[in-house]
Amino acid sequence: MTRPPNNDNLMTFKLVVVGDGGVGKSALTIQFFQKLFVTDYDPTIEDSYIQHTEVDKQWCILDVLDTAGQEEFSAMREQYMRKGDGFLLVYSVTDKQSYENIVNFYTQILRVKDRDVYPMLLVANKVDLVHLRKVTEEQGRELAHRLSIPYIETSAKDPPLNVDAAFHEVVRIIRNQPPAELEKNRRKRRRAAKCTIL
Amino acid sequence: MLWPVLGDEGLRPPSPPLPPLPQPSAPRPASKASKSNKLVPLLLCAPCKPTQRKRQSTTRWYVQQPTWRLWGEEKGDGVIYTVYLKKVRYHRPTRSLSTSESDDEISHLEWETVRVRFLKAGTVQRLVESLANDDGELESTYINVFLATYRAFTTPPEVLELLLVRYDSLDEAANAQHRKTLVQALHVWLDAYPGDWRSSPGHPLLTRLLDFAHRRLPGSELELKARHRLHSFSQPDDQLDNSCTIYDNGRLGLHCSGDTFADSWSSYSFPEVSHRHLAEQLTRMDAEVFRKLVAHQCLGAVWSRRGDRSRSHDAATVLATVNQFNAVSLRVISTILLADEGTKAQERARVIETWIDVAQELRILKNFSSLKAIVSGLQSNPVYRLEKCWQCMTREKHELFRELERIFSEENNAWTQRELLIKEGTAKFADTAGRSDRHLQKIFQKQNIHAGNISYGTIPYLGTFLTDLTMIDTAIPDTIAEGLINFDKRRKEFEVLARIRLLQGAANAYNFNVDPLFERWFHSIVVLDDRESYNLSCQIEIPPAGSTINNRSTAAKKKLQQNHNNSQQQHQHQHHHHNHSNNHNQSGHRKNDSIASTSSSSSSQFYCDLDSLPSSPHNSLDRRISPSQMSSSSSSSSLPSLDISLSSGGGNGAGNSQSRLNVSQGGNSNGTAAGLPSPSHSHKSSPDFYIIKVTIESDNVETEGVILYKSIMLSNNERTPQVIRNAMLKLGIEGNPDQFTLAQVLPDREMVLPNSANVYYAVNTAHNLNFILRPKKT
Repeated sequence: MTRPPNNDNLMTFKLVVVGDGGVGKSALTIQFFQKLFVTDYDPTIEDSYIQHTEVDKQWCILDVLDTAGQEEFSAMREQYMRKGDGFLLVYSVTDKQSYENIVNFYTQILRVKDRDVYPMLLVANKVDLVHLRKVTEEQGRELAHRLSIPYIETSAKDPPLNVDAAFHEVVRIIRNQPPAELEKNRRKRRRAAKCTIL
Repeated sequence: MLWPVLGDEGLRPPSPPLPPLPQPSAPRPASKASKSNKLVPLLLCAPCKPTQRKRQSTTRWYVQQPTWRLWGEEKGDGVIYTVYLKKVRYHRPTRSLSTSESDDEISHLEWETVRVRFLKAGTVQRLVESLANDDGELESTYINVFLATYRAFTTPPEVLELLLVRYDSLDEAANAQHRKTLVQALHVWLDAYPGDWRSSPGHPLLTRLLDFAHRRLPGSELELKARHRLHSFSQPDDQLDNSCTIYDNGRLGLHCSGDTFADSWSSYSFPEVSHRHLAEQLTRMDAEVFRKLVAHQCLGAVWSRRGDRSRSHDAATVLATVNQFNAVSLRVISTILLADEGTKAQERARVIETWIDVAQELRILKNFSSLKAIVSGLQSNPVYRLEKCWQCMTREKHELFRELERIFSEENNAWTQRELLIKEGTAKFADTAGRSDRHLQKIFQKQNIHAGNISYGTIPYLGTFLTDLTMIDTAIPDTIAEGLINFDKRRKEFEVLARIRLLQGAANAYNFNVDPLFERWFHSIVVLDDRESYNLSCQIEIPPAGSTINNRSTAAKKKLQQNHNNSQQQHQHQHHHHNHSNNHNQSGHRKNDSIASTSSSSSSQFYCDLDSLPSSPHNSLDRRISPSQMSSSSSSSSLPSLDISLSSGGGNGAGNSQSRLNVSQGGNSNGTAAGLPSPSHSHKSSPDFYIIKVTIESDNVETEGVILYKSIMLSNNERTPQVIRNAMLKLGIEGNPDQFTLAQVLPDREMVLPNSANVYYAVNTAHNLNFILRPKKT
């Protein structure tokens, strides 16, 4: 692995992890970040969820927002969705309801973004729990197909499966947007953020 | 009592001042915990051993900048300790104090290193036994951490049994102190966590304790206390602690029907209310719920581990807090969307402004819960997207809103908010504003003149704590070293719980009386679910053709439109739409109970209306979502519900003249049909303002190839320099407005506006209202 270059010229991607409570969002996030905080994890420090990452030989900064534990504060969901450049839509393969709720998150994101498409990845989590599995891979892929977004299966249990891959994939999706779309989305965000200065 | 009691009922009034602290809150020197200095009194980690020897001497000592060094681990039977070496420095006694003694050997010592042990992990049995340390003394920090977190790894009955067994196993003569300490621990437990002892019927745990006390310690204080507790638990009216108001965010509003409803509207006429009063009432509600919060219910093991059916019981007080938050947000949203007299964007904007003013008052009151609830409501999509309303607000209000919004920025792991809580959590009044928070600075300055008289509590937004606890629970293993309970994890959790407790104590400072008028008003507000509010919002401001998900179903049509005179149409929408919203609001939403609809819609029909639209051809996504997934509140309840249905293809720009708002009360489908007058265009007159789009001419590489337009409002008395100023502000350009020119971009040419022009009348409305701002050539 090469050294991360200077911060200044790195793209920052804001990734937002969404999904029902209990689907293991926090486990994915922690697994992705904790390598750096093995000894003394502290969730309250400023840079807990910021990481330099190399995706396809290109360095970037990932700023991950995971509001695990706040799922029921439904009114603030759109507020943080507005900030995201890309989304991980996480469900647990052991929880059918969480799978069925994905479409709600999907719709809400598109509405907030006021777009037809937006960088998202469907994440089927907890695939290590083979015996408790209630949502098949086929069902997962079928949903992903319907939503026209990519699909990945993950597990945050040791040894982790596809955890880094999932976050990296979202970066790829963001990067691979048609340039116009990318520009539009970034603008949209900026515009939205500034829309209050009139 | 030497330790602050951190029990079920919040921090006790700070009677005696806490003893000065001999060491920092966390033993790890590198820990970021130092940032939470103000919270130290609660996080005190009393050392296990260091004072033992010194007590014999009369030398008084204190630690000056103690230096901790990790020494290593010490393993025992079923227990692991982390051992630190701590350098303590002796403070030379003053002459006057020590005249009676000659210099003893100790007074020559400047400092010394002592060993400090912290229990890192252990079996349940060892953890319980450690409530009394090797010297038989009670450790205040340890018992606090233990009692606040043990439910994550064991149960009250097991702890009690272990304690009693331990007591019995101690030799009466040799371990008198040790036994005394265990009894003391029981006292603390009884006092601080009465909830643990209450379990109807019969309260077996308490009965067990009473039985023990009666046998082994007859007539003791413990027996009396247990007896008293049992007695009070058996009182019929003793349900207060467990009761917590849970708002039904579904359809509470419609419970109040008929006269009650009308009454409350007239008597508490929002938005013409005192912002201060409204903020105080919200704070009163929040404080009540927050004080009842049982902090340990926030633990990851309880709150965030779902699938557990018992959560609604085990975390009832957390749920109550969440519900209160949502209740406020939902009411913010619905008062704006259903604005009583919101026939014009301006009037709707006034409702938004009112909430911003209330939010400002909440900031002063340090009620971050309702403050965030309001900010979230205003940022929720259905409200946030109402650009025309937002454009009707003054710049001051926008700036104020942005300042309030910044408090809850997710940037840097919500650092702003965390810092504020640390700074102001136990302060008497709010006084922290960011450097660029012009408005808040002013407000605090004004307030501080009277600062002497003010004493407010603090109510935090609980969600951040819940996420922190969820993350701790996920990140740190429950057990280490082949099954020993990881007590370090519990210490970490306790740091968060202690902060919550500290704020709960502070929340006692609020003292506002119930205003029944407010109560009635608050509960009578109709709340909308996600979809209802989004659809309503789309009727208030029709989404521009071309981008939203609603239009997917009509993608083909949309494309046509786009290719065709899209811009023309958009332009028309602005006017048309303005009128349109006038109409349906006048007719539709004056009183929610006075309207019945011609349609016999049920909740599910509302969804079907949308969902039955053909799905987009380029995407096979079936958008049919069953009502139960989307909104459990409306579909599962048999309560009357408010349905808003789009009778034309939702949000489709072309068809919007047909769209109207149907409001019905479910279960009353054949009700008194009073059809809504269909919106007409009869009073189509010139609007008071136009929305114009302005771009800046720029050679900036970033914007190459993309024209970035910003919308600004143009009212009918604005001359060119003012419009240029507005445009510059919106585009974020600094400089002298005199150095810019403004021109309307017409298909064949540009029309430069003279400096003296009244732009409103000068613009060519036959074309797009697109403008370009350019620096004057010098």
